[in-house]
Amino acid sequence: MNELNLDRRGLLGAGLASAASLGLGTGASAQNPAPLAPHMSKADFAGAMKAFRGVVGNEWVFGDEEAVAPYAKVYVPDPLGRHVPVGAVCPQSVEQVQEIVRIANTYRQPLWPVSTGKNMGYGMTAPATPGQVVLDLKRMNRILEVDADLGTCLLEPGVTYQQLKDYLVENNIPLWIDVPTVGPIASPVGNTLDRGVGYTPYGEHFLFQCGMEVVLADGQVMRTGMGSIKGSTAWQAFKWGYGPYLDGLFTQSNFGVVTKMGLWLMPKPPVYKPFMVRHGEMADVPRIIEAMRPLRVSNLVANCNLMMSASYQLAMFRRRHEIVPDGAVLDEASLKKAAKANGLGMWNTYFALYGTEQTVAAVEPIIRASLTASGGEVLTSAEMGDNPWFHHHATLMEGGLNLDEIGLLRWRGAGGGLAWFAPVAAARGVEAERQTALAREILERHGFDYTAAYAIGWRDLHHIIALLFDKSDAEQEKKADACYRELVTRFGEQGWASYRTGVNSMDLVAQQYGAVNREFNAKIKRAVDPNGILAPGKSGITG
Amino acid sequence: MPEALLRPRPLCGRTLRSLLRPSAIALAVLAAPGLAVPALAGQKPGEVQAERAPDEIYAKTCGYCHGRNVGPIILGRKLPAETVKYIVRHGQNGMPAFRPTEVTPAELDALAKWVEKSKARKDEHGY
Repeated sequence: MNELNLDRRGLLGAGLASAASLGLGTGASAQNPAPLAPHMSKADFAGAMKAFRGVVGNEWVFGDEEAVAPYAKVYVPDPLGRHVPVGAVCPQSVEQVQEIVRIANTYRQPLWPVSTGKNMGYGMTAPATPGQVVLDLKRMNRILEVDADLGTCLLEPGVTYQQLKDYLVENNIPLWIDVPTVGPIASPVGNTLDRGVGYTPYGEHFLFQCGMEVVLADGQVMRTGMGSIKGSTAWQAFKWGYGPYLDGLFTQSNFGVVTKMGLWLMPKPPVYKPFMVRHGEMADVPRIIEAMRPLRVSNLVANCNLMMSASYQLAMFRRRHEIVPDGAVLDEASLKKAAKANGLGMWNTYFALYGTEQTVAAVEPIIRASLTASGGEVLTSAEMGDNPWFHHHATLMEGGLNLDEIGLLRWRGAGGGLAWFAPVAAARGVEAERQTALAREILERHGFDYTAAYAIGWRDLHHIIALLFDKSDAEQEKKADACYRELVTRFGEQGWASYRTGVNSMDLVAQQYGAVNREFNAKIKRAVDPNGILAPGKSGITG
Repeated sequence: MPEALLRPRPLCGRTLRSLLRPSAIALAVLAAPGLAVPALAGQKPGEVQAERAPDEIYAKTCGYCHGRNVGPIILGRKLPAETVKYIVRHGQNGMPAFRPTEVTPAELDALAKWVEKSKARKDEHGY
């Protein structure tokens, strides 16, 4: 085992005073408390917190700096400390959520609902604007129903992917889950509400959502789809119900608090075969996309396929200074050398086949021919063996659990800084070629690395850029903030806007989607939440 | 590549070697119609998660990173329980913070003592 490095492990074995002195708290202090919402007095805040305690008990309301600290930890750049909550309240039932919402209306105390609060690189439990109390739904973690015949489940927001997976395994139910990167500690409900994605054929999570229960801002409980029909057996089977489709209104929004959600689960296939395609040059990405698109559009490849750059892959398990000296540019020659030494290419494309022996055997030669013609080496477990990167992706593509990508947080220095930038384009190679050039120009000018991947969802191309920085370095955090804003702005000028963004940039991205769209969202907000108590600033939406 | 990175790692009770056989893997048949859902140990339908023992929390949260190339090894190092508790609640560097709703105060007390008294595990590896 290596000697301890202070930046990585220095606190292990150290006393609490050392930890506190390194500023691991909220950034607030008794002399400089996190600010309340602008319209609120201290008496309003105290009144709301007292009333919350009456609903959930003293032990599940947090208001002082130390108790709020776990809610303030973020990876995203926040040089001005705008994203610090003032408290947290933690209900365990729908009725308690209703009471809390009514109290929030009385005192006009904004609430920031979170499910498990682990959307890392997007803000975790931190709110978009100051003065909010986190409505922490993690204690609501009941698995209400799993239907093994229909392949459906009904969950509360605090259920983690780990809990759901354990439940399926313990009860011998042959259904898969579809995880985002940090499955063990993340919420299927929360990830779906953020329109997150995963790695199996059920990877576009919102497509596989069916039915919600929502506590509205006035405290009423509404069920979407077939859920409001007494005696219906189709709440988790039929998505649309009757009239306007409402479920979308509650994703990436602040129009209600989702307290139950139905999801479809994929039957475990008889055969699962993961692949990796290795390409040797950075310039190869357009031809990979051109080769992959027809396979994906036709659904011959049924899962979202991910093209991982060498730098993104290496950042998971290696540290930057192992590849280039501190302060040096992460050049292509060094990357190629490190990639090769670890069994990787400059682009590493992952997909899998799911089906029966016959269907997989029939499809595999078609796919191999197409990808080989693109200049890639088509590899399977036979060639990759126990390679940890192949293992990582093979695990995810069958709905398995790991937290390997938290390793990204240690890429630079003491680490702890990550902001995902995820602009969307159509799945065409030429788009990727232009995007990679633009991203590298911006990132490298600010002193950061191009650690990125592309994903073809179905017909769309997501460019997933991990802006990795050392959050313990205040100057670097400022640079990361400026870099992120330039990425959003300049990509937007080219027609590439984010599909999702962190609390640090919600307003900025909302502006890009236009004044008419913003005003429409604001009109809905004013109509359904006139006191503006639910997550002001979420997705740039205020009343 | 460091030797540690090449070792197969536990995956839901199976190793990669058993998971990924050279030919496509027939792991299961599709669900039989009308499959009943037996009530076994673990979380029951409609009930919140019960208090968990330290080894379960370690296996299903901490152990995904610590000892698996992502986070530092923490078992067998006599880390003071109070330090463990502080780091869990605040996060350190790249480690996320865990709230009382995720690891309850009672669970954290037991977990921190368990980590302090733990022995090193030979199958853990990494930085």
